[in-house]
Amino acid sequence: MYKLIEFLRRIYVVLLFLFIEGVALNFYANSSYYTQAKILSRAHSVAGGVQSSIFGVKHYFTLRGENETLAKRVAELEGELAYYRENDMNAATDSLTMEGIDSAVRVSLSQYRYTTARIISNSISRSRNLITLNRGTMHGVVEDMAVISPSGMMIGYVIGCSERYSVVLPILNMDFRTSGKILGDEHFGSISWSGNSPYKVEMTDLSKHADIEIGDEVVSAGLSHYFPEGIKIGYVESYAINDTQTSYSVTVRLAADMTKLNNVILIENIDYGEIKALENNPVSEF
Amino acid sequence: MQKNLTYAGAFLALVLLQIFLVDNISLSVYFHPLIYVAFIIMLPLDTPPVWMVVWSALLGLMVDVMTGMGGLNVFASTATGFLRPYLVNLVTGHAGVDDSSMALYRLPDKNFRWYIIAVVVMHSAIYFFMEALSLHHFFHTLLRLVVSDAVAVVFIYYFVKLFIEKILKR
Repeated sequence: MYKLIEFLRRIYVVLLFLFIEGVALNFYANSSYYTQAKILSRAHSVAGGVQSSIFGVKHYFTLRGENETLAKRVAELEGELAYYRENDMNAATDSLTMEGIDSAVRVSLSQYRYTTARIISNSISRSRNLITLNRGTMHGVVEDMAVISPSGMMIGYVIGCSERYSVVLPILNMDFRTSGKILGDEHFGSISWSGNSPYKVEMTDLSKHADIEIGDEVVSAGLSHYFPEGIKIGYVESYAINDTQTSYSVTVRLAADMTKLNNVILIENIDYGEIKALENNPVSEF
Repeated sequence: MQKNLTYAGAFLALVLLQIFLVDNISLSVYFHPLIYVAFIIMLPLDTPPVWMVVWSALLGLMVDVMTGMGGLNVFASTATGFLRPYLVNLVTGHAGVDDSSMALYRLPDKNFRWYIIAVVVMHSAIYFFMEALSLHHFFHTLLRLVVSDAVAVVFIYYFVKLFIEKILKR
């Protein structure tokens, strides 16, 4: 017995070390980006104020460029608005088209709801980067909202919310997946990040029948339910057919500069819950 | 007591610098210096091994909680803390690290630099290869390690020097 105690006394540091490493490894192996987002959004309840003011200082220096981008975007949207106003007036004159549907109902027919937020922390130096926003559940942010830049380029989607903050899984996270397609072509591929460059992502499994050229615009295919169809992802930089000659692997240069993000637009797919419930349990719905 | 408070201050300062300053510098995917490991480096060389493990684990835990990394920092820093006495032996050639006359500021500058490099590389190698979880992007991970460690070593060298000169020797 004495010998056993003596032996344990000699190796208790090793045992403690192995125990801590075991717990840490187990936690790391079982942690998904959802658990990471959960921890991070809790931590930001404490440290969010400091993060927010640090990012505020950084933000100040990029205001000029951002104003220019926003002004351009406003001009674009003004153009679009004028187009829709004209269409609306045409529709109003055509009594058969929208008869019986008043304007309030027409607004509620839209599948997407938009809101804005400011980034308070963003990293690009890890394999699994996350972005924190200064908006949470009390501002109407919910999980699975799409996140795009003010100029309409894909950034990621919300994976966790606390009351005042939310955490985004950005395109620069190796766990990020979405579907993309070449603008003007209906074949789609899977978009993911290999962790190498913050300016490039990969599109794999794009059918060999797709009409592809270097410089083509790559947009969201609208199949993942997070992103509306047509959100700009980037441009084809290079492509190659895979070994089995069945599909293309495409390198896409990102449209959004993920290293210089400040403000973002959040898009909620109002039908997401309904679609997900139906997909999870298709039989009982009929 | 005052010495303990000094170390507690350094612990907090390093964790806060890592989270609020270094992690907010988004320069490149290759730039991710892990400067908080300076705390493991500056702990007295005669720290009992059990406290080395406990302090290193707490350090990793603090960074994990604040950055949302699930256990990765705990894993890397505990291993580094546990292996530190062996690294000290390696760079100083001493047979026993529990020699109480041995102090950080008595190490010759050359040994001191090698000691910092050894601890930083050990810690970040565990961190980066565990994060990548494969050898598929071996050279990419290696480049991350080299760039990040170069920055971390320079920062830690001056941080620990400053700590020794201005606080420990005062």
